[in-house]
Amino acid sequence: MIQKIKASRSEKIILIFIILLTVFSFGSFLLIKDKCLFVKDYDPKKIKFNKPKNIAILNVPCGNVIIELYPDTSPNGVKRFMTLVKSKAYDNVAFHRVIKGALVQAGDLEFGKRGNIDYGRIGTGKSGLGTINSEVDNPFNFEKGSVALARTQKYNTEDSQFFIILRDEPLYETEYTPIGKVIYGLEALEEIKYLDKSQYVLRPDFINTLRMLID
Amino acid sequence: MNLIRLILLSLFILSQAQADTIYNLIKIPNLEIYEINTPNKLRYLYAKQPFTIGVDNNINCFNSEKKFLDKKYKIIKKNLDRYDQNFLRKINLKYIVLCEDLSISKINTAGIPDNIMKTLILDIKFNESYFERVIHHEVFHIINDTYKELFDEKIWSNFNIKNFEYADCSTCTNKIGLDTYKNTDGFFTEYSRSTASEDMAEVFSHLIIGSSVDNKDTILQNKIKFIRDNLLKIDRNFKL
Repeated sequence: MIQKIKASRSEKIILIFIILLTVFSFGSFLLIKDKCLFVKDYDPKKIKFNKPKNIAILNVPCGNVIIELYPDTSPNGVKRFMTLVKSKAYDNVAFHRVIKGALVQAGDLEFGKRGNIDYGRIGTGKSGLGTINSEVDNPFNFEKGSVALARTQKYNTEDSQFFIILRDEPLYETEYTPIGKVIYGLEALEEIKYLDKSQYVLRPDFINTLRMLID
Repeated sequence: MNLIRLILLSLFILSQAQADTIYNLIKIPNLEIYEINTPNKLRYLYAKQPFTIGVDNNINCFNSEKKFLDKKYKIIKKNLDRYDQNFLRKINLKYIVLCEDLSISKINTAGIPDNIMKTLILDIKFNESYFERVIHHEVFHIINDTYKELFDEKIWSNFNIKNFEYADCSTCTNKIGLDTYKNTDGFFTEYSRSTASEDMAEVFSHLIIGSSVDNKDTILQNKIKFIRDNLLKIDRNFKL
C-alpha cells in the first residue's frame, strides 16, 4: 500500500522559490538577449516633416533613426552624403567606431562592408569619389544627435564616413562638418554595439539601410 | 601579490573606452573647458590636473588655482582678441591651454606652440614683466611653423651685420634676456640673438605690443618690413 506523502511547508517554499527563480532567469535571459526591447521604432510614414526632401532614414538593428539634413549649413557635405545614400552605398556598412554614450561612427565603404570587413584597415577606407572641403564656418550647435562628416587630423579630408554624437560636444563646432541632426530614434543608436576597452568594434553592428525619405 | 595583480587587471578590463573629447582633439590629457564662447572662436582650456606629454614625456605642466587662472585669463584673452577668427584659422591656432610651471626637458618655458594640433600651451605663471609680449611671441611661432616658406631664415640672417651668427638652437645659448634694449642695434632683446626664429618672434611681439623703433636702426627697420610684408601675404587685412 502506497502511502501518500504530504510535502512539508519548507519543501513547498523551496519549490515555489525554484519556480520563481526559473521564471526570473528565463525572463532576464530574454530581456538581456533582446537589447532593442524597450527601443521605440519610428515609422517615417506616420510622421509629418516640414522639409521631407531633407529627411534620411537610417535603419539599424534597433529600428529607424530619422535624420534631418541641413544643406544650407554644409551644402557640399550634405550633397556628398545624399549622393552616397541615393546609391545605397551605406547599406551593410559597419558602425566601426563606437564610444558608449559619446558617438557612433560608420561609413567606411571600402573596409567596413558586411562580409568583407577588414579590421586592420577599417576607418581608413575611401568612397572613390575623392575628398571634399570641410565646411566649418557656419555656426552650428553640436548638441546630442548631431550628424557630421568624419575626417583625418587634417581639414578638407572628408569623404564618406560620418558620425552621430550621443551627447553635447560644443568643441566640435568649427572642427567638423555638420550635415544634420537626428530628430527621431536616437535611442536606437545608443544600443549600437561597443567594446569596453576599445573605440574600434570587433564584430560590429551594421547599417541595414540608409535611404532618403523621397528619392 | 597575485591578488593585487588580479584586482588591477580586473579594473583594467572593466574600465570603459575613454570618451575624452579634448584629448581626442589635441592629445593633451587632464584638460577642461575654461571658455569657448569667444568672438574669434579661440577655445580656452585649463589643466584640471598636471599633465605630461611629448617625446619621452618631456613636456610637463601643472594646474593652477582658480583665482589665479581667472586673473590671467583676462590678460591672455585681451591680447589674443587682437587676432580675428579668419587670421587664426589661417595660422592654425584654435586651442589655448592654460597651466603653470610649463617645462620642456626640465627647462622652463613661456609657451609651447603646436600648429599641427592647433594648440598653444601657455605658462600663466611666466614672468609678469614680459607676460603679455610673450603671448604674441608664442603666437608668432605658430605663424612661422605654419608658413615656413614665407619666413626664410637665410633671408632674415642677411639683415644682420656681417659675421653675426645665431646659436644652433634657442636653448644652446645663454642669451635669454627679454628686456627690450634702449639701443636696439638690430635686435630688440638679448634673446633675439639666440636664433633667427626667436629673433623674428621678438620683432613680431614688439610690433604687436607697439614698441617704438629707432629710425636709425636700419637692420631692425628691414626686419620689421620683412615681418609686416609676410603677414600681409598670409592675411591682407592683418593689422599691426
